[in-house]
Order: sequence, then C-alpha cells, then structure tokens
Amino acid sequence: MQRFIQELTKGLWREIPPFRVMLGLCPVLAVTKNAENGLGMGIAVLFVLVLSNAIISAVRNFIPKKVRIACFITISATLVVAVELLMQAYVYPLYLQLGIFVPLIVVNCIILGRAEAFASKNPVHLAIADGIGMGLGFTMSLTFLGAIRELLGAGTLFGKFIMWEGFEPFTIMVEAPGAFICLGLILALMNFMTHWQIKRRNESTPFVLLHASQMPSCGGACPGCSSGQNKG
Amino acid sequence: MKSMIQMIAVLGLLCGLAGFSLSYLKMSTATQIESQVLTFVQGPAILEVFKGAENSPIEDRKAFTLKDGRKVNVFPAKKGGKLYGVAIEAFGKGYGGDIGVAVGFNVHQDTLAGIGMTTMKETAGIGTRLSEPDFLNQFPDKKLPVKLKADGGEIDAISGATVSSVGAMLAVSNAVAIYQEIKPLLLETWK
Repeated sequence: MQRFIQELTKGLWREIPPFRVMLGLCPVLAVTKNAENGLGMGIAVLFVLVLSNAIISAVRNFIPKKVRIACFITISATLVVAVELLMQAYVYPLYLQLGIFVPLIVVNCIILGRAEAFASKNPVHLAIADGIGMGLGFTMSLTFLGAIRELLGAGTLFGKFIMWEGFEPFTIMVEAPGAFICLGLILALMNFMTHWQIKRRNESTPFVLLHASQMPSCGGACPGCSSGQNKG
Repeated sequence: MKSMIQMIAVLGLLCGLAGFSLSYLKMSTATQIESQVLTFVQGPAILEVFKGAENSPIEDRKAFTLKDGRKVNVFPAKKGGKLYGVAIEAFGKGYGGDIGVAVGFNVHQDTLAGIGMTTMKETAGIGTRLSEPDFLNQFPDKKLPVKLKADGGEIDAISGATVSSVGAMLAVSNAVAIYQEIKPLLLETWK
C-alpha cells in the first residue's frame, strides 16, 4: 500500500513530467494557449496513460522482448484513436482546438516512456498508480502553464476576464515564444526552490550534502539517501 | 524459430484486437460525431442565416439523394409550422482548399436568404474576409442565379482575394443548382 501511494504521488512533484523529467514537451508548448486547452489535453493524456499502463502491465509476460516497442505502440495508438473518436463525439469544440495534437499523443514520450520504464516491469496496480500520478502531474502542469499564459496574454482565466480594467495583455504570451519564456521561468523557479530546500536541509544535517546534491530529484527521502546518511 | 512464431502471433493478435475494437467504436460513435460536426461547423452559419426560424434546422435536417448519386443534407427553417426557407451546404475550390458555404434560400420568392461560411483554409486576413459582413451582406434577397460583377452579376468580389471570392461563388452556384434540382421534392417533404 505504501508503495502504491509512493508511485501515485511521485508524478505530482518529484518527477512531474514536463517540468522535472522534461517529457512530452511538444504538446506542453503547443496547446497551452489557455487553461481550458491545457486541461483538456492533460485529461486526454491521463486517460491514455492510465489505460496503456494497465494493459501493458497486464500483458507484460506475454510480450516477446524483441517486439515489445511495436506492441506498446499498437496499444497506445489504439487508445489514442479511441480518445480521438470520443472527443469528436462528445467535446467537439475542444477537439477542434487541440487539432493535430490529439493523434500526436501516440508519439508522446510520456506514454512510451512510462510503458518501457515502468509498466512493463511492474504489476498492474502499481502501473495504474504510476499512470494516474504521471497523468495528473501532466494535467496540472499544462493547466498551470495555460492559466499563466492565458492570464498574461489575454487577461482571462478559463474564458472569464479577471484582470483589472484597462489591463493591456502581453500578446506574446499566447504566441509560441510565450510558451518558451513561460516554461523557462517555471523551470528556473523550480530549480531555485529545489536548491534552496537542499541548502536548508544541509544546514541542519551537513553529511547529506554530497548525496542530496547528486540526486536532487529524490529530495533526500529515498532509501539510497538514507543509507548514505548512515554511512556519512 | 519458436520465438519467431511467438512474435508474429502476439503482434498479430494484438493488432487484430485493436482493429476490431476501433472499428466497433467508430461505428457506435458515427451518428453522434455527425451531429456534433453539424452543430459546431455548419450550425452557426445556418442559424445566422435563419435567425427567425422557430424550429431547429439542424435537428430537422434530412438527407436527399441527387440525380448523380451524391447525398446532401438539407436544413429546413420553419415559422408557424410552415416551411419558409432551406439551407444547403456546398463547396467550391478556394485558394487553400475547398471552401464550404451554407446557402439559405427563401422557398416562396426563390431568392437567397443569405450565406455563411462553414469551412475554409484561406489566407488569414485576405481570403478570410469572406466571412466578414461586407461580403456576406450582399447576398440576402438576391434573385437566382447569383454572379460576381465581373461575370455580369451583382456581387462585389473581395479585392485582393479573387480566387477566394470565385471559390465562394462557385460554392454558392453549386448550392443553387442543388436547390433547383430538388426544390419540388423539398416542398413536398415539408409543405
């Protein structure tokens, strides 16, 4: 159970896909013109990721090693086409907005990355937890980035105008360069926070310094760090 | 050899299952998708043309078969339970692919009720001026057939966007041809 929760929560901050492990950047930059698109894209990826993780993990023992990539792609492509059809049938305006990026979920590195790195080596319940965590992390990141860009670029949030009157929108934020600028600033902020956390922790327990700075993504909480702490 | 057969079997089985489930999903969502497309692509243009309609032209649509075998959706507009207009979508070749135009007709006077753009991939800011009031407002109450001024008609083309204007007019003429062909059938269907 503890493992389940650990796999579930790692995608939310420690390994949050676009900001920490830099996966799936293409849709992150392209569709986050507003918060709603980000949320829609995130949910589509979440759906595909959870199901593809679950199915791949369930059939992992039947798939021959040599054709595993082809099998993973077949499974995720099937799910993506299913999502595309369902989006057309029930949320057509969102489908028009996301356009080509819905079918492109097939080649989103998060899907294949999680399949290869996690789902093909772990039992179904952990794979589902991993899918939910990573998918939610991806959804949160996209919605967050979309919200910032929409707020600065158009003065609205989920289509509602909430800035003060006379607010002059930074149109660049809803254009492509705005995505890069915004992403860069978020990454800088996250790195700054991580370093600050490590530094603060080191002031109280100086021996962790070496290990924690080598593995900043684990936050010093993983078994590797605690064993190193004992030795130190 | 054994592993080879295993690979082929697994991959084949997987692809077969995928194909089967997708074709099932495609069939079961087809009608829903069609109505969504009509609501969000053709819908706004048609409702703009028939603002006074008391029914829902989209829901009351009917498909008709033309002499050459093509099928067209016809959208009726009613007032007080009586048909006063129909809308037909037709296409013409524009600068960036087909231009889709929803053309509304007043069935009693045989005139245009108006037109609206449904799909187009024209150059932004040039060809897309087709969907601006300056161009669209020329159409209501024009007698059939309609032509550009260059062809001896009454419609002003958009300057700088001749190809787009001609494409849109071609779509309108196609719609007029369809309308004239099936008009008796339409009047009989909706009365």
